[in-house]
Amino acid sequence: MASIELRSVVKRYPGTTAVKETSLAIADGEFFILVGPSGCGKSTLLNMIVGLDEVSGGEILVDGKVVNDLDPKERNMAMVFQSYAIYPHMTVRENMAFPLKLARLPQEEIATRVEQAAEILELGGLLERKPGALSGGQRQRVAMGRAIVRDPDVFLLDEPLSNLDAKLRTQMRTELARLQRRLGTTTVYVTHDQTEAMTLGDRIAVLRHGEIQQVGTPRQLYEHPANLFVAGFIGSPAMNFLPGRWSEGRLQLPLGAIELPPEQVGPSLPTDNPLVVGFRPEHLRPASGEGSNTGALDFTARIEVLEWMGAELFVYFDVEWSGYTGFILPQELETDSKDTGRRVMVARIDPACGLKEGDTLHLRLAAAHLQVFDAASGANLRPEIG
Amino acid sequence: MRVGSKDRRERLWWAVGGVLVITYALVPVAWLVSLSLKPAQDLGDKRFLPRQVTLEHYATIFQDSQFASALWNSAGIAAISTLAALLLGAGAAYAIVRLQFSGRRLMLAAALAVAMFPPVSIIGPLFNMWRSLGLYDTWAGLVLPYMTFTLPLAIWTLAAFFREIPWDLEKAARVDGASPLQAFVHVILPLAAPGVFTAGILVFMFAWNDFLFAISLTSTNDARTVPAAIAFFTGSSLFELPTGAIAAASVVVTLPVILVVLLFQRRIVAGLTSGAIKG
Repeated sequence: MASIELRSVVKRYPGTTAVKETSLAIADGEFFILVGPSGCGKSTLLNMIVGLDEVSGGEILVDGKVVNDLDPKERNMAMVFQSYAIYPHMTVRENMAFPLKLARLPQEEIATRVEQAAEILELGGLLERKPGALSGGQRQRVAMGRAIVRDPDVFLLDEPLSNLDAKLRTQMRTELARLQRRLGTTTVYVTHDQTEAMTLGDRIAVLRHGEIQQVGTPRQLYEHPANLFVAGFIGSPAMNFLPGRWSEGRLQLPLGAIELPPEQVGPSLPTDNPLVVGFRPEHLRPASGEGSNTGALDFTARIEVLEWMGAELFVYFDVEWSGYTGFILPQELETDSKDTGRRVMVARIDPACGLKEGDTLHLRLAAAHLQVFDAASGANLRPEIG
Repeated sequence: MRVGSKDRRERLWWAVGGVLVITYALVPVAWLVSLSLKPAQDLGDKRFLPRQVTLEHYATIFQDSQFASALWNSAGIAAISTLAALLLGAGAAYAIVRLQFSGRRLMLAAALAVAMFPPVSIIGPLFNMWRSLGLYDTWAGLVLPYMTFTLPLAIWTLAAFFREIPWDLEKAARVDGASPLQAFVHVILPLAAPGVFTAGILVFMFAWNDFLFAISLTSTNDARTVPAAIAFFTGSSLFELPTGAIAAASVVVTLPVILVVLLFQRRIVAGLTSGAIKG
């Protein structure tokens, strides 16, 4: 059990800064997620916590003690690697016993602990096998087993599920969450998959270009993303974005103008500045007729593509515009980040409504769910509600 | 049918080719064995199979104290050279593969250049240096050049094997509580075992078979190895050519090499298949 604190931690490589000044506090027993696109510095951050990478500046504290200069073996942290990194020349039992042998525990104690861990992870029958004879999911368990036998202060997991197939990944995700609750060990989990981040984490830190964009609970990130990047990164399917402008007390969108309730406008939205307006697919609802009223915008859309998922239906439609400038989204979110004057939107609709591709659909967008971002800085201009 | 007959023909040609190569390689060895078993008076009989088999030459060489000490020198010097080259080579190769430092490529190239250097060209200076340093006619005097000339090979072979080992394994060992040395010994080295054996065989054979350094840098039984000692064989009488004894000695020194290769070859194959390096 341990709490972790990062104070202005920096990692520089010759020519680049992999992690910019980062400060974080991870509470004892917390399941903390570092999420971001590849190359955002999340793994570097993890390696610095465990001591495989040296910090270039700042301090890392575990339970209030600075561990900057401690060797990995003195930090009592266990790590699971994306490649699992189980030792191919040792049996499953030897793999799990390895950290205990290095710690010079007595033989009987090692045997009991390995048996216990094997039981928790349902590896009982596989103890004498070599990793070569195991499936991907089993290897993943062995890597977990090697981490938990030590009863470490902290678990560090570096994309542990990304080498598994989709079904197994979902299953292991649930098991991982259960295991962490059961053991109550502080866990730092690195992933690029926002679904894993949302489902597993007590709190999430979103990283981009070696910089933390936002730290918060999954709910906070989803409902009030701090900037465009977080808004687009969290959620699947992704948030819809449109260009917008604030004029005459109304928000001008390619779909029409909409009034915002005063509490949503905040101090003031900048007139003239190009804005980006975001809304989630589930916040589009089928509407009975056309026309705008306060707090909602009704419009019609021609269905281009339907994706029926059983419990929900995704409706894709195009929105075109002209006369808006400065509509550029963060590169990681877009294959084509240029202002093309046309975007595909998606709405999540009840599948019971019996739609076909090519149909025209009346949709209602509620102002309460709109996110308004400054197009230049990407910052969320809407005050946090609730 | 057609495919089958083509298949069979192909296999036949492979068999013929194989037999040819093996014959070509083994006839001189067989001739040597045959010579070593012939009685002295039959040595010039130009027959492939000895008319009469005798072990007298083997008895002769082992009675000669010179041969026994040469065997001891050969074994000791080759073993020390191999161990030292592997130890240094493993360290150097690991550093070259794992550490980021400038001049890694240069180091590898320089190592290769050493291996390309013709030994003959340094024999003269070495002879003088060793004499003034007191290394002439000592084990160290031979171990040093053997190590020097085989280290590049060891480094290149081992570096190739180390490169194949996922770095994550070393990191995992470090996080599991191993010191850098423990991680190397418990995780990296066992996985690179095939490479270690390969390099070991190459170094051992170089040291065991070398004649040039051995003949130039030794003068007595203190450090003279078998290849050099054979050249100093004399017949049982002044007027007899020691052909039989030389043949017997050659057979005796060939055996350990064959043994070592066969032994390690099995380890190499076993190591390669049981590696299963994949996360």
